[in-house]
Amino acid sequence: MRSLIKTVLFAIVPVAATGATFSYHVVGEDKGAWPAILTSVGLTESPTGIASVFVVRGASPLSAAQWLERAGQGAFVVLEGDSPVARELGFVPSQTRVVVRGVEDVRTPKLEIVWEKAVELPVYTVPDGAKVFVRERWAKAPLMAGLRKGPGGVLWLAVSPGPQGHERFPYLIQALGDLGFEAPFRSAQLWAFFDGSYRSRADLDYLAERWRKAGIGTLHVAAWHYYDSTPEGDAYLKRLIEACHKQAILVYAWLELPHVSEKFWSDHPEWREKTALLQDAELDWRKLINLTNRDAFRTVAAGVKGLLGRFDWDGVNLAELYFESLEGYLNPARFTPMNPDTRAEFKAKQGYDPLELFDPNSPRHPSKDASGMRALLEYRADLARRWQTEWIGEMEAVRRGRPDMDLVLTHVDDRFDTRMRDLIGADAGRVLPLLAQHDFTFLIEDPATIWNLGPQRYPKIASAYDPLTPRKDKMAIDINIVERYQDVYPTKQQTGTELFQLVHLSSGAFPRVALYFENSILKDDLAFLPAAASTVTRLEQTGTKLAIDSKRGMGVPWTGPAKVDGRPWPVRDDKTVWVPAGPHAIEPAAKDGVARMLDFNGTLESAGTTAKGFEFAYRSSSRALAKLDRAPRTLEIDGSQQQPVFFDSTLVLPRGQHIVSLTF
Amino acid sequence: MRTVWMAFVLSALAAGQSKDAAYEPLQKAYEQSRARQYDAAIANFERAAALAPKRAAIHKDLAYTLLKTGDTEAARDHFGEAMRLDASDFHVALEYAFLCYETRQRAEARRLFERIRDRGDVGSRATAARTFQSIDSALAEGIARWRRAVELSPNNFSAHQELARLAEERDDAKLAAAHYEAAWRLRPDLSELLLDVGRVWKALGRNEEAAAALLAASRGSQPRIAERAKALIPSRYPYVYEFRKALEIDPKNVELRRELAYLLLEMGKKDEAEQEFRGIVDAAPGDLLSTAQLGFLKLARKDLPGATPLLNRVLEQGDDELADRVRVALKLPQSLKSRKDAAPDSRGTEAKALADKSLKAGYMKDALKYLTVAHEADPMDFAVMLKLGHAYNQLKQDREAIKWFSLARKSSDPSISSEADHAWHNLRPAFAPFRTTVWMFPFYSSRWKDVFSYAQVKTEIKVGNLPLRPYLTTRFIGDTRQALDSSQLIVAPQYLSESSFIVGAGIATRTWRGVTGWFEAGEAIKYLGSRKDVGAMIPDYRGGLSYARGFGHLLAPSSHGLFAETNADGIYVSRFNRDMLLYSQNRAGYTLRSAENTGFHAQLYWNWNATLDRKGEYWANYIETGPGVKFRFQPLPPSVVFSVNAVRGNYLVREGNPRGPVFYDLRAGFWYAFTH
Repeated sequence: MRSLIKTVLFAIVPVAATGATFSYHVVGEDKGAWPAILTSVGLTESPTGIASVFVVRGASPLSAAQWLERAGQGAFVVLEGDSPVARELGFVPSQTRVVVRGVEDVRTPKLEIVWEKAVELPVYTVPDGAKVFVRERWAKAPLMAGLRKGPGGVLWLAVSPGPQGHERFPYLIQALGDLGFEAPFRSAQLWAFFDGSYRSRADLDYLAERWRKAGIGTLHVAAWHYYDSTPEGDAYLKRLIEACHKQAILVYAWLELPHVSEKFWSDHPEWREKTALLQDAELDWRKLINLTNRDAFRTVAAGVKGLLGRFDWDGVNLAELYFESLEGYLNPARFTPMNPDTRAEFKAKQGYDPLELFDPNSPRHPSKDASGMRALLEYRADLARRWQTEWIGEMEAVRRGRPDMDLVLTHVDDRFDTRMRDLIGADAGRVLPLLAQHDFTFLIEDPATIWNLGPQRYPKIASAYDPLTPRKDKMAIDINIVERYQDVYPTKQQTGTELFQLVHLSSGAFPRVALYFENSILKDDLAFLPAAASTVTRLEQTGTKLAIDSKRGMGVPWTGPAKVDGRPWPVRDDKTVWVPAGPHAIEPAAKDGVARMLDFNGTLESAGTTAKGFEFAYRSSSRALAKLDRAPRTLEIDGSQQQPVFFDSTLVLPRGQHIVSLTF
Repeated sequence: MRTVWMAFVLSALAAGQSKDAAYEPLQKAYEQSRARQYDAAIANFERAAALAPKRAAIHKDLAYTLLKTGDTEAARDHFGEAMRLDASDFHVALEYAFLCYETRQRAEARRLFERIRDRGDVGSRATAARTFQSIDSALAEGIARWRRAVELSPNNFSAHQELARLAEERDDAKLAAAHYEAAWRLRPDLSELLLDVGRVWKALGRNEEAAAALLAASRGSQPRIAERAKALIPSRYPYVYEFRKALEIDPKNVELRRELAYLLLEMGKKDEAEQEFRGIVDAAPGDLLSTAQLGFLKLARKDLPGATPLLNRVLEQGDDELADRVRVALKLPQSLKSRKDAAPDSRGTEAKALADKSLKAGYMKDALKYLTVAHEADPMDFAVMLKLGHAYNQLKQDREAIKWFSLARKSSDPSISSEADHAWHNLRPAFAPFRTTVWMFPFYSSRWKDVFSYAQVKTEIKVGNLPLRPYLTTRFIGDTRQALDSSQLIVAPQYLSESSFIVGAGIATRTWRGVTGWFEAGEAIKYLGSRKDVGAMIPDYRGGLSYARGFGHLLAPSSHGLFAETNADGIYVSRFNRDMLLYSQNRAGYTLRSAENTGFHAQLYWNWNATLDRKGEYWANYIETGPGVKFRFQPLPPSVVFSVNAVRGNYLVREGNPRGPVFYDLRAGFWYAFTH
């Protein structure tokens, strides 16, 4: 009887038309951080124990042989610490002990991984044939190792992965991947920032293919490098845009005004922004221009229009259009804007030069009178809003000639970290009402000051903006994947489980997630990014039928023809079926229709095959790109016949909400 | 580029003829690279590089392939390797220099461009000179700008740091050192700056100071910086003078000073250790660990007036654990920890965590091992003592268990002491000379429409270490209905119980693996005057073997999960015509979680019971099965357990059975027992 119960409870999900893993089960009452780890790549919890990933933390209901048998059938069994099952499998503690603080992941031995809290552990021996994934940095004691067994495997950890799940073993999911684990779902809607300045020799077709595989649907390209036209630069950017479009990736011009370009800075010393020490505002990599000056503004506006006109952009991103720095007025060497125009304007309003506020001997210095600095900070926030309004106006003027172009405003969060308004002049409360008059996406950048906080901050940030705008569909979040200046653990830059948790939680909280930046995402993370960005809320598998519900639509691993909600379904490639948001049932179909849509980067609303082809409905804030398995004979958009436009074999569709019908 | 490849392919082919181990992967790598299968090509280049590690050209071509994939850092490293293997290839050196610049290794890039400018071939000199000039002038401009910023704002930490960074990139170690030091003075909490200071001091040849700075960083409060510093210092344990030098640089580093103090203590230099602890306590009065240690040292040398305020401070402000240590130490001063490169707290913490897991999982021997480690790490952790008691108790080593419960009773934490006290009282009778146990089990039977009651009062006498215990006993066996209504029966009234008090003496063995042997001799005294089937007092002899075991999650506080219980009794009863009866009662089911509000804690289970006898009496041969529930309430004593069982029974003997072969019975009752 007991063995029957075990068999039923710890059975493996029958795999329908795919080798992917859909659900997990943590054996025992205390689940630890495992739900946070495993859901971060789209796995759903199976409370019944019918799953494909099993985590055994304490007492094991099955013997080592029984677990191995399940691994042989495709299960992944995770064992935590010392236990009879682990010992039976050969993970045996010795009398020698080691204090673990620095660890080394063998896939990236140069990556500095440090545990914030050192732990003393026994030195384990691992069985023959086991692959050691992680070891202690100095004594090389094994800390995480795996055994492959047929299509599945056993992953053993010397100690728990930590309270949040990412404190000790960043590449735990990747280790499961090495044992054969495949993530269940995919999203292909991520945005990513790209700076090509140091990657001029990369094969752009190779990069574009890799980005698309990593779930990137839109690339925001550092456009200031191409502000000044050069034959090499222009050719490179054209090649980049073509390569992206071929892979159904949209390309936006990412602007970092008031930085314009290196050349512009050199050519126009008279328009250089000034700090409160009256030095040229060359801060980090940005060389800032005084856009309050009307001549400078007109010149830069014309240059930006030229930049947008020279290339086939799908959108433009006005990013970080405010002032420096995160140290606020306490660091005058970085405080902007203190150019003559701004100072004159402030003086006209307040009757004194704002420089007086930085002079420790002045009676207006904030140590003696706070009101003057308050007035300057208010003026500065107001000026930032004026700039933003002005530049949105300029972009809308460009859009009148290019109606398919999207507009994004990247703005640092000042609701979660309320100091941003005073530090850099960013005030979302003043900018968000502009959504009522202008069509743009508001991309929230989490400020560096909170990069050390955990992934749970993203749902909190989302809720902080709820009262500010009814246009939640226009909100997006920008995750900075960079080395953080704070004392953070286990890695300086988010990677592995921490990154997946960040992406997963932010994808649940916002309709759009941007990653800064494409090249900082470590290579080992790329494979699981699409899974992390998926937002499945429910999954049920009955025989070969899969019932799923997702917030934003997604790709489901699938081979062969499929029906969705009972209709033959045309949106799939050889490995994935793409379904819209909401509840859907997927099941095998006898055969495909006459053609398929292999990839699509708009938001799919519905689809179905027709006698001579297929039709679908979508919406997109820019052009939408569709990869087809063959060229269509006719294209109908919203009932009217259109001449198809292609980038290579990728069909270009208009911005907005449309119904498309194709015959072949 | 194509020519280079062709040349290399030819040379590789030629090498292949002389059995070049790298030939095959190289050939594949070039083919894959041409087919733009860069990932596969990189894997083969890496294989080839491993097989022919001295061949610069492989690293160079690998680097170019890595550039195709955008992996600039990896490309840089392979160009660097190719340059080291072939210093005459200035083209590779230039590639390496550019990639160093692009990947933020700018000081290295600047040095390389300078070297190539001075010593490179004709083709590379001009490029290197131009690039060096560009980098150097930008650095010079930056340095001038931040110098001015520092002049205008001398307490501006980030200006000093920025200036130092640019100076270091320009190989101006002296300027860099001055401003890293200034930044360090402004922000001594940033131990990362100590690494910077140590690095530039080393560049200036100030090796001793550099080593001291790195030692201080390696003992700082930031684990990441400590780990980086550890990689830069010798692996041997530092000398006292090195600690002292490090403290000169970083006098506020409490961790560093504490480690020195413990080192001195271990070396027997108590006076010097005390001086260091005094320094910590003066600088960081909140460091109660050092405060306590200082107090202990003073106490050890009989300086009670000096020690008392320190130890009182710990008692007032310290956590329970530290306060407990102080209480113990007031009788016996002891060192709080040993100076090993280990986190002693973490050892104990980890052991405790593992012990908890083992206890939860039922691995009692493992739990015992971990608890012993935890106890060694912290001999005054009363929670560990309590757990040791429970572990020994579950391993049936009650003699050990009671010792630990007794120690844990002394805890200042009332929850620990009360639990330990309770457990101690439970176990103590087993080791007391006299132990009196009272139990009762009244229940209602729907089949007999009667309330039955069984009870016993038993006083055992402990005789040395003998495995047998004599005892005196009084049993009660009765019911409320007394007899079946004779009007419904053709035969004489049938009594449903013995309706007696049985007074006697007996002897019992110790329980071994759940089995107890016992025998009693006494007199049964009936309490029903109307009963005529037996005399007022009759001899009563009974005895047998009793076996009881539980498995899984039994009905105990905070327990929930699957469980099984079995009770088997083989009893000889003189009164039943010298019959021998065998009772087997078995239950298996699930213990539910305890409800937090009411303290209601229940088990759902299934019964399988069998009763057999030697003489084949119909009433003593039947089987029963059916569901049951057992439950208790937190406010009541733990030994009060209610039960309701619904069973279907089958008689196994037809002969003489006036009833049908099948019966149904609903039984509801409670069990209560206590021992003094």
